[in-house]
Amino acid sequence: MRPFDYVEPRSVDEAVALLSRGGERTRLLAGGTDLIPRLRRRQWRIDRLIGLRRIDGLRDLTLEDGVLAIGAGVTLEELAASTTVSDVCPLLAEAARLMASPQVRALATIGGNLCHASPAADLAPPLLCLNATLRAIGPSGGRDIPIGEFFTGPGRSALRDGELLVQVRVPAVEGRGVYLKFSPRRAMDLAVVGVACFRSHGVATVAVGAAAPTPLRVPASPDEAAARCSPIDDLRASAEYRREMVRVLTRRALEIVP
Amino acid sequence: MRHSIAMTVNGRRTVLDVEPHRTLLEVLRDRLDLLGTREGCGVGECGACTVLLNGRAVVSCLVLAVSADGAEITTIEGLAKEGRLDPIRTGAIQCGFCTPGMIMAAKGASVLEGNLCRCTGYAKIHEAIAQSASPPAGRETTSA
Amino acid sequence: MTLIGQRIPKLDAADKATGRSRYIQDLRLPGLLEARVLRSTVPHGRIVSVDVSRAREAPGVFAVLASQDIPPKRYGYAKDTTALKGDRVRRIGDEIAAVAAVDADAAAEALDLIRFEIEPLPAVFDPERTLDPGAPLVHEDRGSNLVRTHDYAHGRVEEGFARAAHVVEGTFRLPAQAHGCLGPAGAVAEWDARGRLTLHDPTQIPFLIQRDLADTLGIPPSDLRIIQPTIAGGFGARLDLYPHEIISALLARAAGRPVRLAMDREEDFATDPVRPRTVVRMRTAAAADGALLAREADVIVDCGAYVSWGAVTPIVMMHTMGSFYRVPHVKYRARTVYTNTAPTGAFRGFGNPEITFAIESQMDELAARIGIDPVEMRLRNANQPGEVTPQGSRITSCGMKECLEAVRERMPPPGTRPPGGRPLLRAAGENLVASATQTETESPSSPAICPAGRIEGTEPARSPLRRGIGVAAVFHVGGGARIYRSDGCGAMVKIDDFGKATVVVGATDIGQGMETVAAQMAAEELGVPLEAVRIAPADTDVRPWDVGVHASRTTFIAGNAVRAAAKDAKRQIEAARTALGLPPDTPYDKVVRSEHFRDQGSLVIGRAYFDPPNAMVDAENKGNVSAAYVFGAHAAEVEVDVETGQVRVLRVVAAHDVGRAINPMYVEGQIEGGVMQGIGYALLEEVILREGGMSNPNFLDYRMPGPQDMPSIETVIVETNDPSGPFGAKGIGEPPLVPVAAAIANAVANATGVRLRELPMTPERVWRALRAWADVEAPGEICGKE
Repeated sequence: MRPFDYVEPRSVDEAVALLSRGGERTRLLAGGTDLIPRLRRRQWRIDRLIGLRRIDGLRDLTLEDGVLAIGAGVTLEELAASTTVSDVCPLLAEAARLMASPQVRALATIGGNLCHASPAADLAPPLLCLNATLRAIGPSGGRDIPIGEFFTGPGRSALRDGELLVQVRVPAVEGRGVYLKFSPRRAMDLAVVGVACFRSHGVATVAVGAAAPTPLRVPASPDEAAARCSPIDDLRASAEYRREMVRVLTRRALEIVP
Repeated sequence: MRHSIAMTVNGRRTVLDVEPHRTLLEVLRDRLDLLGTREGCGVGECGACTVLLNGRAVVSCLVLAVSADGAEITTIEGLAKEGRLDPIRTGAIQCGFCTPGMIMAAKGASVLEGNLCRCTGYAKIHEAIAQSASPPAGRETTSA
Repeated sequence: MTLIGQRIPKLDAADKATGRSRYIQDLRLPGLLEARVLRSTVPHGRIVSVDVSRAREAPGVFAVLASQDIPPKRYGYAKDTTALKGDRVRRIGDEIAAVAAVDADAAAEALDLIRFEIEPLPAVFDPERTLDPGAPLVHEDRGSNLVRTHDYAHGRVEEGFARAAHVVEGTFRLPAQAHGCLGPAGAVAEWDARGRLTLHDPTQIPFLIQRDLADTLGIPPSDLRIIQPTIAGGFGARLDLYPHEIISALLARAAGRPVRLAMDREEDFATDPVRPRTVVRMRTAAAADGALLAREADVIVDCGAYVSWGAVTPIVMMHTMGSFYRVPHVKYRARTVYTNTAPTGAFRGFGNPEITFAIESQMDELAARIGIDPVEMRLRNANQPGEVTPQGSRITSCGMKECLEAVRERMPPPGTRPPGGRPLLRAAGENLVASATQTETESPSSPAICPAGRIEGTEPARSPLRRGIGVAAVFHVGGGARIYRSDGCGAMVKIDDFGKATVVVGATDIGQGMETVAAQMAAEELGVPLEAVRIAPADTDVRPWDVGVHASRTTFIAGNAVRAAAKDAKRQIEAARTALGLPPDTPYDKVVRSEHFRDQGSLVIGRAYFDPPNAMVDAENKGNVSAAYVFGAHAAEVEVDVETGQVRVLRVVAAHDVGRAINPMYVEGQIEGGVMQGIGYALLEEVILREGGMSNPNFLDYRMPGPQDMPSIETVIVETNDPSGPFGAKGIGEPPLVPVAAAIANAVANATGVRLRELPMTPERVWRALRAWADVEAPGEICGKE
């Protein structure tokens, strides 16, 4: 790794100020599980890292007024282990448990997973199904971004310069959900395709990962879901296979949550 | 610019100046000579560098040392003092490179998922962990 | 006998479990520099210029070398490369220049300052196209990409096919498999003032490296000392002289300081001497009663850009072709070819998993045609004790039948009753099933290579899951393998003043447990407790000659040497007792001290050299290369999701004839580990090439099975007590990997009716194969659509 500066702000405002001043070569450090490999491989060159761990509130996890408010710094392990999350949206806890390994889940955060904006982000399809809202704070104040508008391309999100994702807000809605992660290994693997399905009051919502440039909400029908996604060929699978797996997994997901 | 950090490493309070781009793994190995924590991949995909950070198993290659300021760290050398060495009796060790990470994961992770072993096929590792989960009374311990 | 057959923990287990073992990355020396290598990013090109001047000026840099700075000494089997490339690069990853600096970061920064220009040339990557007319030449001076052809024949193969009732034919494609040793490769070199080099090197062949490296460096071999640190996995990856070993020595000489060249994971993958991509075109003929009549194969092996062990794998394939089952007519041709990819090497099994995949797939295809049980088919053709195969292999002990029966008993084919009344453990007899242990993995859910998209709990009306069982057997060398004129190993046993024994043996412990097994044998022979035996350090200045740890030879060869040396020491003790007039029960320490404290006394050092009674192959490629052969059989039960193509291995039974299990715990360890690597080969692992470079050089995308990916493995140890093995033992290092892929492919065919002839059987490959057959609704039909 190449040298860089490191600061640990104590508040969101301080972090936003540092981020706005810093420009392109200033990055945020949450869990570090995506960032550090990039720095090690010299994919990114940075001047300064802003460590978020000392900011109060980023690791809070509360249920109030029918909304599960998850601080962006909540780790995957906390998400998977939280009884609140398991009670309100087990779908999300399940997806978190299927990610990486315990030693990585203890570090990686929900905010990092979303801001990294991987097309294969495992938390995205469940949150798309659950209509989550992402709260960002920037130099000109805070705003809520519907998750459907958050992902704009591989590695790109709707966050503006100087904006910090602080909270993921999931409305507590009654229903049943499932996340099917299709990967050759049981753990330590990325999704070849991931399909989340949530059925509430008879209406099913389906979202897919690794099947388009961004995680994507698709119609709750196997054929239409397959038609709607736009997967790529890469070393993990061909586009044709991914599309077919979207069809198969969507059908299975709809069967599992009838 | 170097940062002064204070950690408790294997029960010993440790203060040192580190550069921000050094990982906890590098600092443990290169500054503190705790060589039982090993680098198998450097990017969190093999588990050989697993240590306990505030009691939880983490891959130390993905932790910046500066962000471990104030933390309590346990490495295999810290655990070895306790004499919990079940892999020895079960044949769970072949080349041994993964072994400290396995032991640390068994101690501080909910499930063994993130540790690769290329020698054993895992059967005897699972067996060793099962044995250490229910230590028989008066069991032999080995101090190395 | 007390120590033979005991489940004794490895001598170094406590050090390994407490993190005290020292691997190459852990070595600390005063003034030690760290090195990095500049590598080619193009697969083939002419090196126009390399300018290292700015790198030499960089802070912390002690030495920078490019090809003009080193002796232009070619090395390797075909003498077709130099450690740093001068005129041409021939693959992505080729070494262009190297830097030694105060730390790895400084070295990496200096690499960025090296200016170089490479003019790209056309390249060839596909071993099946590299012999095409007009294909780019990897080595222009050789005029062809053909490295070597291996031919073998016995009988008259056309006659066999003409008489056949059934003939099956197919093309099998095997991927490059990486070793994935958990500790990446590396070496540390230090020169003393007299020009003597000490190389700390986790190699499998210290005594061969000593000669080859000294030759490359232009020093006498006696001026090179190899010290092996604890070795973080071998499996064949450390079986040759590699550029990093030469470069570390050259940098250390240039810098005047010790130098470590340790690779990171990506570099380890990118330079790994992988199991070669192999294409096997095979046909096999059988009579109506199932007797094999003829077998013919045409094989292409990718040797990569330079010749290493990968190019030698056809020799092992040839022995399997000529000796596995009783086949009267065999013909075999293999061609090894250059491509612009990483040099391929040795990997556990060494060609045998590749050829066995084809042979054992076709055994099932034939059994299906004939309509007999696959195990019966194999029993009908099994090798027998006392047989001399047409290829020349003298089968001494042979537990093939016992292994096949053992797996059938434990995993009967679906719809058949287990053979009644036969006890699992026979009390005595020449061929004895000694132990059968079931090791259940402690997975939180059922064991698998897991389909995460699998529906747990909610079974849909039409289940997409099909189950099947497959069997495959293995034939391998187990009593050395004479591929050099020497197949020997030396051993010495020194009895000290305190009655303890130091075993000095040439063989190398790569984690398999050689040192423990050697100690067990020495203690047994000397009649002392295990604690009274220690193993001398792995240092060529101390240890006697050994060819290296390969070919599953160590227990057999080194074991015989150690046992004989211990016998010799014991004989000297007895002679001393007599000469000194001591009573016959005088303890060792008193005897030795009496020798040391008298006039004209003597040391008690037993010594022995064991070179087995085997032979190199003759001009027709025939000969008894090994002093003993080993056999085994595996059965695998799989579940195939026919909608996703995901194969999940539910259970494996692995029976192996090991002659005699000196340490059953580590025999099981070899079997379980081999099965794991075999499952990886069968289902998950593949070096994916882009422009000839590895595009998945990390543990995320090069998927080795993880702790939750293994099925339960039931190991069965069959003991046949080989007459020439130490205490009856034969080798077990490689065989457990060999039949795994074939057993799984046979199980997939059994489950779905579709045969996969290409590995790994990834979900997408299986899905495509299944889709090629429209109807997937016929579960359990044996090879119905072949």
